[in-house]
Amino acid sequence: MSHSTPTLPKPEYVAGTGFLRMVLLGIGAIAMLISIIAAFFMTGKQVAHSYLFAYFYFFTIVGGAFFWTVLHHAVDADWSVVVRRQLENIISSWIVLVILFVPLVFLYPYLWKWLLPETLAADPMLQAKQPYLSWWFAGLRTILIFGLVGLYAYLLRKHSVDQDKTGHPAYTIKMRYLSIPGIPIIALAITFAAFDWVMAMDYHWYSTMFGVCIFAGAVQQSLGTLIITCFILKQLGYLKEVNSEHFHIMGKFLLAFTIFWAYVHFSQYMLIWYANIPEETNWFVKRNEGMWTYLAILLTAGHFILPFIFLLPQWVKKNPLTLSLIAGWLLCMHAVDHYWLILPNYHKDLSPNILDFTFFIGIGSLVFSQIIHSIGSSPTIPVRDPRIFESLKIKN
Amino acid sequence: MAKSSNKVDLYPYWDQSAPRPAGITEAQEKVAKAAILRPQLIGNAPGVKRSYNWITERVCGIIEAPTPLWWFIALAITATTTLLTIGGVLYLIATGVGVWGLNHPVGWAWDITNFVFWIGIGHAGTLISAILFLTRQKWRTSVNRSAEAMTLFAVCCAGIFPAVHVGRIWMVWFLAPLPNANGIWPNFRSPLLWDVFAVSTYFTVSVLFWYVGLIPDLATLRDRVKSRWAKWLYGTFALGWTGSNKHWSNYEMAYMILAGISTPLVLSVHSVVSFDFATSVVPGWHTTIFPPYFVAGAIFGGFAMVLTILMPARLIYGLEDLVTDRHIDLMCKIILLTGSIVGYAYLIELFIAWYGANPNERFAFWNRVTGPYWWAFWCMMSFNVIAPQLFWVDSWRRNWIVIYIVINIVNAGMWFERFVIIVTSVHRDYLPGAWGMFHPTVTDILTFVGTFGLFLTLFLLFVRFLPMIAIAEVKAIAPESDPHYHPPGGHDHHGDATKTSTHAKA
Repeated sequence: MSHSTPTLPKPEYVAGTGFLRMVLLGIGAIAMLISIIAAFFMTGKQVAHSYLFAYFYFFTIVGGAFFWTVLHHAVDADWSVVVRRQLENIISSWIVLVILFVPLVFLYPYLWKWLLPETLAADPMLQAKQPYLSWWFAGLRTILIFGLVGLYAYLLRKHSVDQDKTGHPAYTIKMRYLSIPGIPIIALAITFAAFDWVMAMDYHWYSTMFGVCIFAGAVQQSLGTLIITCFILKQLGYLKEVNSEHFHIMGKFLLAFTIFWAYVHFSQYMLIWYANIPEETNWFVKRNEGMWTYLAILLTAGHFILPFIFLLPQWVKKNPLTLSLIAGWLLCMHAVDHYWLILPNYHKDLSPNILDFTFFIGIGSLVFSQIIHSIGSSPTIPVRDPRIFESLKIKN
Repeated sequence: MAKSSNKVDLYPYWDQSAPRPAGITEAQEKVAKAAILRPQLIGNAPGVKRSYNWITERVCGIIEAPTPLWWFIALAITATTTLLTIGGVLYLIATGVGVWGLNHPVGWAWDITNFVFWIGIGHAGTLISAILFLTRQKWRTSVNRSAEAMTLFAVCCAGIFPAVHVGRIWMVWFLAPLPNANGIWPNFRSPLLWDVFAVSTYFTVSVLFWYVGLIPDLATLRDRVKSRWAKWLYGTFALGWTGSNKHWSNYEMAYMILAGISTPLVLSVHSVVSFDFATSVVPGWHTTIFPPYFVAGAIFGGFAMVLTILMPARLIYGLEDLVTDRHIDLMCKIILLTGSIVGYAYLIELFIAWYGANPNERFAFWNRVTGPYWWAFWCMMSFNVIAPQLFWVDSWRRNWIVIYIVINIVNAGMWFERFVIIVTSVHRDYLPGAWGMFHPTVTDILTFVGTFGLFLTLFLLFVRFLPMIAIAEVKAIAPESDPHYHPPGGHDHHGDATKTSTHAKA
């Protein structure tokens, strides 16, 4: 509201991303190559489960970043303007996820047995839900998930980068109109990806909360990824616009979603445990056998109790380093979480495999090579966003 | 804002000398130029400014003015309606729960429906006052006080039903974990007991939160009122507030801590209410999405009730410049969002009931949709999910007739939701020989109708004797409160950047 016209921040480009992108592509290629070689010595089931674990991990992170972007526009937020470009960079890797889904199409007999005619013929429970768990309907859902979110991710980033040139407010309004339907789109996309790819691995089990559980983790961990991205860029001397106030807000949201994650997972567990209906508890019984049960305890402590206590003081959230440390820890816990969700469908007890690591590194490097490419190709912040000045001087 | 700052560049980020980018039409540019500006928080029409003094005068004026005639008439009506609940409860206690329509398959019906309905209404108050405070949503300040008051009154209405549903009211203390002569203890593993704790904690913290927020405004009233009795009463409850920096500092800290405590509480209350059903093995009740779905539904129903009460109050007392069209617009958007979350939950529930392929579960939901209570299900669906979708249209969020119709549909829809969940799930259980229907008795109906009387009576007393807008908090978000504020034109103003002007010199 001051009289003088504030000066616009200068567009700043991150240098050296081309090289880093090549390095990541190289690491990704090597990791995938090792995985393929190792795969010849492993069972098909192992390959498929390790791959899905790694794939779904990054899928949730990118999907969650999409949610934050559409949320930003839908509620006309101002604090997040200076970090929004990084979210757009993260969602630009959606195309990589589309391509990396292709191996899963070939690995389906090991993951999604409901697609096999012989399973269907032998299982009356499956026959009862066949119209949903059929190859054509599941395929249609997958195409819709990738297509709709992909189109949105492309348009949102394009409008945002176009706005950098002239600052025309019509771009913001366009993005707002796009983003409001974007919220149900991403909510449904994550729900049905969770149902079809993960929950249906055990096609007898069901839980209405499952989509919300995956969504909670996705939203939480994509925020962690954003925090770390901003921290690294700051360390490299870029993104000076993002200060402790912005980190404080992100830290508060991280705390909120850490609690939300625990809340929905606890509710799911407690209600199934309490009612004790065999067809439901079966899923948790599998995950409480042998070492799996220790992983479950680790998740309770490491995914909720520790970060909850750690994130309570204000200084932790205001300090980019401490906040990034806890975000990094949570990203590790996210891997444990998804490992515990997916792998017990194959292994009766915890048995880590080299493929769990190589696929993870491979897919992660390929996804991040695209993110790095996007970071280098546009200014670090939306320099002419209508809310840029509010965002720069935010206090909370 | 637009008119008053004609010297200021409204679009400093926009290079207007550059040609219009390809892909943007002239019409889009025109829409964007208007839509990008943020409406002001205080003052309904653009450019209307309201001073600190105006805010104090307007809000305190409601209390200081002689009691209007309409208030007495309204109070007579609502207080008489309350007698229905009192009479219904006395009749119940004197006779037994047989005076309600409960029967063998339907052992829970209107009593628990009404309880969940009212407890849900309260949630909007806590959301506005605590969660929107923690997320620094400035617009909350105009509506938080009355929404919080509503929370308390709604919890009072809700509490009646569990308290009397045992029929033998003199045994109700068995709900509390007190040692008694019969060696009977409440079952700590029962969600019904958790409910007793959750609701009583929620009520206690809500009262504290509301009261702490009231203290500065009570001091304002103490300094203004003429009557000696009123001065003494307001003064007692103002706890010797002087508006010193130390007081403000302690106040802010207490308020923040209470907001922090209230936030998990608001989630826990309705989660525990949902556990009452979801921990069971009854098809239609046992589903894992219940806790967040109940919380979203509660906020949804609560916002509808806040608007139901606030829209007439704003009109009667001329508070349009404090509770602006923008506030109503934002609340409509929250109703749209939470209504859609509830819709998501309804559909996922139906889908998983089918997907789970358990014949009993499938039957329970099929019976819900097409059975004898189909009308209740379709009322719930169309009232809660379809009706709020009208709020997608911009102009309908500004049309008070549309808003008032939709929110009252939502009020009814949220009652139907609880009725559908509770009654349709139990009226046809595993044995067709035991199937039945529920028919409410006159006592059932009148006891429920009376709670609206109680709710409105309490609200009428509230608007008469307490400031219904948080005076100090609204002032804190006024443009004058910004330390860097320069009035356009530069002439004299009394925005001294502190909130201590709560003591209006008038």
